[in-house]
Amino acid sequence: MENTIARKKKSAILLNKIKTFFVKPQNVILLMFGIVLTCSTLAPVIAIVRDTFVIHPGTIDQHLTGKSSGYSLVNYIDLFTSRLAGTNLWKPLMNTVLLSVLACLISILYGGIFAYLVTRTDMRCKKYLSSIFIFPYIMPQWTLAVVWQHMFNSNKVTGTADGLLASLFHVAMPKWFCQGLFPSALVLGLHYAPFAYILIGGIFKNMDANLEEAATILDTPRWKIFGRVTLPMVKPAILSTILLVFGSAMGSYPVPHYLNLTTLSTKYISMNSKYTGEASILAIIMMIFGVLILGFNQTTLTSRRNFTTVTGKSGQLSKVHLGRAGKHIVAVVFIILTFFTSIWPIVLFALETFLPNPGDYSFLYTGDFSNLTTKWWITHENITENGMYGQQGILYNPTIWHAFKGTLFLAVMCALIAGTIGTLIGYSVAKNRRSKWAGYVNNIAFLPYLMPSIAVGAAFFILFSNQHINLFNTYTLLIIAGVVKYIPFASRSSLNSMLQLSNEIEEAAIIQNIPWIKRMTRIIIPIQKSSIISGYTLPFMTCIRELSLFLLLCTQGFILSTTLDYFDEMGLYAFSSSINLILILTILLFNTLIDLFTGASLDSGVGKEK
Amino acid sequence: MNRKVVSLILTAAMAATLLAGCGSSSSGGGGGSKTDAGSSAASTESAAPAATEAATQKEAAEDLTGIDAIIAQAQTMSAEDLYKKAIEESNGKTFYGVGNSSRGKTALPLFIDHLKTIDPGYNMEFEWQQPKNNKIFEQLSADSLKDTGTFAMTLIQDGNQIQTKMVDTGILKTYIPKEWAEANGTTADAYDGFLPLQTLNKVFMFNNTGSAKYTNCWDFIYKDQHPLYMDIDSELVGKNFLYMLTQDKYADMLKAAYDKLDDAHKAYFDPVIKELSQDAEDFGLGENGAYALAWIKLWVENYNAQTDDGPICNTLVDKSAKDQAGLLVYSKLRSVEESATVSVNNITVAAYQDGYTGIGGYGYCHYLFLTKNSPLPWTACAFIQYMTCTVDGFSAWGKDMGGYSANPEVAKQTEETYHHQTGGQDESGKDVYPAKDDRGYDWWTTTGELVLEDPQYCADAAFGVGSWIETLTKYADASK
Repeated sequence: MENTIARKKKSAILLNKIKTFFVKPQNVILLMFGIVLTCSTLAPVIAIVRDTFVIHPGTIDQHLTGKSSGYSLVNYIDLFTSRLAGTNLWKPLMNTVLLSVLACLISILYGGIFAYLVTRTDMRCKKYLSSIFIFPYIMPQWTLAVVWQHMFNSNKVTGTADGLLASLFHVAMPKWFCQGLFPSALVLGLHYAPFAYILIGGIFKNMDANLEEAATILDTPRWKIFGRVTLPMVKPAILSTILLVFGSAMGSYPVPHYLNLTTLSTKYISMNSKYTGEASILAIIMMIFGVLILGFNQTTLTSRRNFTTVTGKSGQLSKVHLGRAGKHIVAVVFIILTFFTSIWPIVLFALETFLPNPGDYSFLYTGDFSNLTTKWWITHENITENGMYGQQGILYNPTIWHAFKGTLFLAVMCALIAGTIGTLIGYSVAKNRRSKWAGYVNNIAFLPYLMPSIAVGAAFFILFSNQHINLFNTYTLLIIAGVVKYIPFASRSSLNSMLQLSNEIEEAAIIQNIPWIKRMTRIIIPIQKSSIISGYTLPFMTCIRELSLFLLLCTQGFILSTTLDYFDEMGLYAFSSSINLILILTILLFNTLIDLFTGASLDSGVGKEK
Repeated sequence: MNRKVVSLILTAAMAATLLAGCGSSSSGGGGGSKTDAGSSAASTESAAPAATEAATQKEAAEDLTGIDAIIAQAQTMSAEDLYKKAIEESNGKTFYGVGNSSRGKTALPLFIDHLKTIDPGYNMEFEWQQPKNNKIFEQLSADSLKDTGTFAMTLIQDGNQIQTKMVDTGILKTYIPKEWAEANGTTADAYDGFLPLQTLNKVFMFNNTGSAKYTNCWDFIYKDQHPLYMDIDSELVGKNFLYMLTQDKYADMLKAAYDKLDDAHKAYFDPVIKELSQDAEDFGLGENGAYALAWIKLWVENYNAQTDDGPICNTLVDKSAKDQAGLLVYSKLRSVEESATVSVNNITVAAYQDGYTGIGGYGYCHYLFLTKNSPLPWTACAFIQYMTCTVDGFSAWGKDMGGYSANPEVAKQTEETYHHQTGGQDESGKDVYPAKDDRGYDWWTTTGELVLEDPQYCADAAFGVGSWIETLTKYADASK
């Protein structure tokens, strides 16, 4: 009898516990996405790990084992111990680490300083600069590398045709400047600086200046306030930027490929044909690095003190005065810098579409404008041989416009799904900050970002193109891959902002019995609107010009980035440049529309005056 | 697989004939006869063994199942019958093809139009894919796991990987069109090899606006020379070129070219050749193997890696690229538009110079295969037949210089249609761009000393000479 009562009590307690657990929306979200994301994230990882042990016909493992199928450790042994270990592993690894670190430094310094100037100072031309600053991120990263080549290559140093600088001013830049680590890191750093700007700027903008003012009242020197008060508050954003940039730079293939730097990702591609299993080990190494960074970030997240910057109390943002001349000088400096990083590439893209041959700027040297042509735009047939490789002009090219529609659909779907899931995860993790499960969900959601895109693409291809299910060349497959890969953008952005949000705000609503949906839509989301919108716009922008991830999952004309890459590889820069222009215009249009309807576009979320 | 089965059955049948003691002499020394594409030597066999062989082949074909049976049957069919089968099979369906050449996309609508002339109500949707970065092999491998694949056929390059990853594993199946075999003086069953659609050539060119002279293939690797070339890890047929140089025939060509160098040049190359003599011996190369290895070593250590042949061409035709050289697809020259600084006349095709010595470039093939689980096998066979046996079918490639049909009759008609050998002449017959006068397959493979890809040789060399090449330090890596 007593036993029965005890059992009933126990089950009632358990039932109550379960009920209580499910009453909290954040718990339901974490449980649901924890399971889904574990499957969607681990399946590709397992596929890649398995690939390192599988014997691939026609590759080194078959040669070394004498078997054409089965499993072996030979890939590991050969990669780490053969006489090619230096060439295939250690040197690329060192280059990759250097590239990632430098890209992080450049992006954080450039983007962070710019974010500070825009949000916390009285620098002039903020709106213009804020809009123009994100352009390098809008453009596919390798296009900046191609622009770099067109600018600085020279017959004397790189052994090619002269670039613009050599042609016009007879200046031959040194080789380290034209190819290798320096330009690769700079291009990636500039490309990812908008990350830092958006993430760090979001914090700066929402920051309550009371803490800084308190320090000022206590007569603390300005540099000390920055180091002891301001910087710690933006630490989560800096860490998130490091995570995002390090992972992206490590997995970047096209930039080092175009600028002749051997990294793990370029090695992954070049080794894939003959050293397939060993290439997968390189992918695993990239992932391990990512996990280490994630671990470092996690340690910092759990050990740090409270970083709440948005409270229920009133807050105001004080501006640092740069001085009467200073505010103009700083603006001019950034106008010049952004001209070269944002405007100049676009000018070159536009010019390229009127050149008779790719990279043929003879009209500049000769002053003869009859050397320009409109053939790349208006040719309406593909029979005459006029240097267009059988393609119709941009305006009539069915491949380009079909790909454009496909890209738009894909980017919108990925942004909506990844943005929503990521935002919910960010919110839930922030609410259950101390929970281990929340930490796990946060990490598992982030893991795909740390895997090289090309490896994730290969894994999804294997997973979804088999005898049971065939999703190859369908939007479904691209959307699945895109969502899994881009959730981290939204979850990081959301987590950053939610961590700043004091619980007391939502608690006030809970006391008044306001339902969760209403709390989210009326309180949480409006307060952190700019960060949450970033969680949608970043996946959108990234997806719209993503290449490596989708390379294996669809045909060339299916989406715009694969079409762009095809034209770039062919040397048909007029077409690739025009696609770049289309991409930039599209993103700007969407950005403006978002700004118009929500008042919180990507850049204005940071750059707009409060 | 079907070829092996057929070969085994044929061998067994021959052995049985011999053992039966009918008194007929053996028809061959060891194994099956080999007939290469382009060879016009027809074998003369007596009628009786031929009849026996035909009967045996028929029996063998009857034993085959699935795709092998379809291929065996298709190989005996006329084009008209094949087209009818294709219409029956694919009307209203979607055809997926995958290839290294984008021109498959141009050829498919022509094929559909051709089928419409037989059945005006016929229609077929199509999708043609051109994967990048060697991913075609992964796509085909993954697709082969399904019961019914996505891809009906492929147009693929890199004999080495095709051999080891696709043919040895049974993923791809060779179909030899009857007409193609006849045009090459052979039969589908006697022909042993892949089916080439065309041979493409990459040739040595140099910018002639400076003073540099390239009159010998060794000049491209002489001191301080850094010719432009697609990275050998990026486009693997470039690696096959290097493997092929170690074959006796081409090593002998390199030696002959070396012998014509002056003493100063020889003195530069001699230490390298000497240093590699032992390696050549270890690899089991012929007597001139060391010359091949020396050329390869200096090439790998000096070529200036580029992303594609398009950008290489864009560079070389610019007058600022003074004295630069490159090894690139010949047909890229067709797309150069003349301007103040860019001209086809800024480059010289090395092998076209009077007195040029040594190899003039490299030839590799685009091969055609059915996939083992082709969803539309008859249509794939018909499409392959159309591309390899008709001028219209080959026109997607044939209209450009530097690509030569493997069907002698189509090659001849293509030249008559497009006049590539006088491609540099204007309407009045004046030779305006001599570099664009394509001298044709026969010239390139004889006088032009084009190095031709042999898939089996490349596959065998990949882990010998190939692994050695990987230990060399590329110019791109060394200069940083």
